[in-house]
Amino acid sequence: MTPSGVLALRRRHFLLGTAGLAISSAFLPLVAIAQEGGTLKIGMLGLDTSDPHRHTGSIGVQQVYVEALTSIARDGSVEPWLAESIDVSDDGLNYTFKLRPNISFHNGDTLTASDVVANVTRVKKEISGGWLVSAMEYVDSVEAPDEATVVIKMSEPYAPLLNLLSELWILSPKSEGWDANITMPIGTGPFTFGDWRPKDSFTAPAFDKYWMDGMPKLSSVWFDLRDTTDKSLALQSGDLHIATLSVEAAETIKPMGIARIGSLGDTNWYSVAFNNRSARAPFDDVRVRQAIGYCLDKKAFMQFEGGPDAVATCQMTAPGNFYFDQAMEDADPFKAPDLDKAKALLAEAGVNPGDHTIRFVSWQEDYAQVVVQMIRKLGFQIDHSALDDVGAQQRLAGDDWDVNVMSSGPRADLFLRYVRLMSDGPNPTLWGNIQDPDLDKLISSASREPNDDKRRQLYLDAMQRVQDKMYFIVLGHAARLVGIRNEVKDFEPGFTYSLNWASGGIAGASL
Amino acid sequence: MSVIHQPTVRPTGAAWRWLREQPPSLLFAVALLIPILAAVLFAPPLIGYSPFDQDLLARNQGPSAAHLLGTDHLGRDVFVRLLDGGRTTLLVSISATIFAFVLGVGVGLVAITFGRITESVVFGFLDLVRALPGTLMALLLIVALGSGLGPLILALGLSYSPHVAYIARAAYQREISRDYVRAARTFGGGPMHVLWRHIVPNLLGVLVTQAAIILPRCIVTESVLSFLGVGSSPDAPTWGRMISDASRTIQQAPYVLMMPLIALVVLTTCISIFGDHLRRWLDPVRESAGDNITPLPAREVQP
Repeated sequence: MTPSGVLALRRRHFLLGTAGLAISSAFLPLVAIAQEGGTLKIGMLGLDTSDPHRHTGSIGVQQVYVEALTSIARDGSVEPWLAESIDVSDDGLNYTFKLRPNISFHNGDTLTASDVVANVTRVKKEISGGWLVSAMEYVDSVEAPDEATVVIKMSEPYAPLLNLLSELWILSPKSEGWDANITMPIGTGPFTFGDWRPKDSFTAPAFDKYWMDGMPKLSSVWFDLRDTTDKSLALQSGDLHIATLSVEAAETIKPMGIARIGSLGDTNWYSVAFNNRSARAPFDDVRVRQAIGYCLDKKAFMQFEGGPDAVATCQMTAPGNFYFDQAMEDADPFKAPDLDKAKALLAEAGVNPGDHTIRFVSWQEDYAQVVVQMIRKLGFQIDHSALDDVGAQQRLAGDDWDVNVMSSGPRADLFLRYVRLMSDGPNPTLWGNIQDPDLDKLISSASREPNDDKRRQLYLDAMQRVQDKMYFIVLGHAARLVGIRNEVKDFEPGFTYSLNWASGGIAGASL
Repeated sequence: MSVIHQPTVRPTGAAWRWLREQPPSLLFAVALLIPILAAVLFAPPLIGYSPFDQDLLARNQGPSAAHLLGTDHLGRDVFVRLLDGGRTTLLVSISATIFAFVLGVGVGLVAITFGRITESVVFGFLDLVRALPGTLMALLLIVALGSGLGPLILALGLSYSPHVAYIARAAYQREISRDYVRAARTFGGGPMHVLWRHIVPNLLGVLVTQAAIILPRCIVTESVLSFLGVGSSPDAPTWGRMISDASRTIQQAPYVLMMPLIALVVLTTCISIFGDHLRRWLDPVRESAGDNITPLPAREVQP
């Protein structure tokens, strides 16, 4: 073969090889999609304890390794989970749960009714100050007539019980620290409790004996627990697959086509509250509180915080919710700002705002500065302390503050919003430590009312009392946006921050 | 009779000839510093916006006729906040520098004057303080003293005062061996008289040049602290706070981040250049070859 012939041959081989490589690489993404496994990286939530029964608010992360008798579906309805079926007696006093068969704990033990009884008993007797305290007060007994049946008997009807049981997670009594503080929780979830580095990261390996066939599809889940980083940049770069987003970040990411933007089923709601336990003059005067209410531009605030889909309201539920009342909304005196009226009220109260400094507390969020600037227009000096979660709660538990602006996230039941307004409720500090026996009575009555319409009216009466007493002012509601990269399949956000529920969630997700 | 060392300026002709003889870097630094200082001191009230005014419908807007450097994530005018923040930064840093000098010089020189034991104890304590990074120490002090400009100035001043005390001691030890000091003592001058009447005036040159070195450090430390959210309210228009806030919206409005960064770099660089030349001019010992500025020889003054 002549040299030119050799060269031609080599060139041909090179071109054929290059073409083959190009063609085969086009199939690589398809190959990648078809594979299971992989680590899903999530930046949504925190983890404040290894003992699920003792959580103080962060509930999403742990729901990948622990499950409950019930779960909350995407639309907010209750669905059986570890329980295969639920029967409630006509008088609302007896709840019978039939457990699903062959559910294994992460240590290989099979879930039995005795385990459920042990968990309910632990929450009732050992846990104080948590979300379920009031529910457990009405639990007369919990029994296991057989290994697959649990019967909870209530002293009085309790409407939110099934919703609240979605947060009474069932762990193996063999979990390390069961008698004190669980350090290694053994649950039934699709993932196990792996490597936890507080405030940094958490890794949950897959559980290969999970009770749902063919799940989980992922090898593990990794959580970014840091609360100071901008997760939108990590989502863009691929360092995270799922992350909560601000409105601005979502608007930036949407046109990039790398992720879809979803939202949780329930809303975040925002409020300005006053120190209701130890208010100092002049902030103990309802006219001064009303003046502050009149300087708030709810629509502008909600537009800033939640974008065009956010809604300004005066209630703890958003329009469209069964418990929302349009008449109350129409009667809201603070629907629009009225600085003249605000100043007139201050004058009537004999208050010169320039003589007073408001001790203002908030989290380290931008929306707090919006409220501060609105109040500043009245002429008050403002000493604004922007603190982290723990710092803010500690400050609010004390007496040296006057006004705060806070937000609260999705909840499994409306009662979990109202319970925090009760004198002995969990974390009442965010709403100023309200001490009002009449309000307690209304909320307690609502929780025990089996009739939907009557319960609704009781909750509305409670909300009206909050407004009349000016304990706090609701600003509005906004959806919590979640960015999900395109390579994540079969996952959409739930009703709350929960990542796992009976009819959806992370168990069925894949990369 | 005391002797004061003072630099003399070589007699020059016209001001323009004098300017041409100055180093280009000094002229450049001064040319930038004067308008910056004038702007941050006098401009904010003339612009018409408050640094706290929000326009929630005009967030992250680019530069325009209405907002020369655009708006930030809360619709606040970046230009006004930059100028107001510069005023705060300079106020805090200059005050802290003055405080550091008063405290450092006072403590250092008095300790030296009262003998070796006092000197050892005081400077031993200052060694402990200097072992901590300046920013960390300022952070700890603010946590102890509370937030606000007063505690911030106090914290910065305290954190830099040990450095000043050491400079003062070194300069003092250089001067103490000089003949004029011996002469003053011979004529019956007590320790405090010799210190304040004879030695301190000859230290002023050194101390002033050190002030020009410490001032930019104070500016940077103040910015770091406000970046961390310490020592100022969340909506305070300090450069550090502006950088911190803007880093979260860098994609939407990168200029909001760049403006305070550039301002910080330019200001500290210009002050450092100015201070470097000031040191060469005032310090009679450390003259550099090739400079147009020649330090003065020492001269006698009447006691």
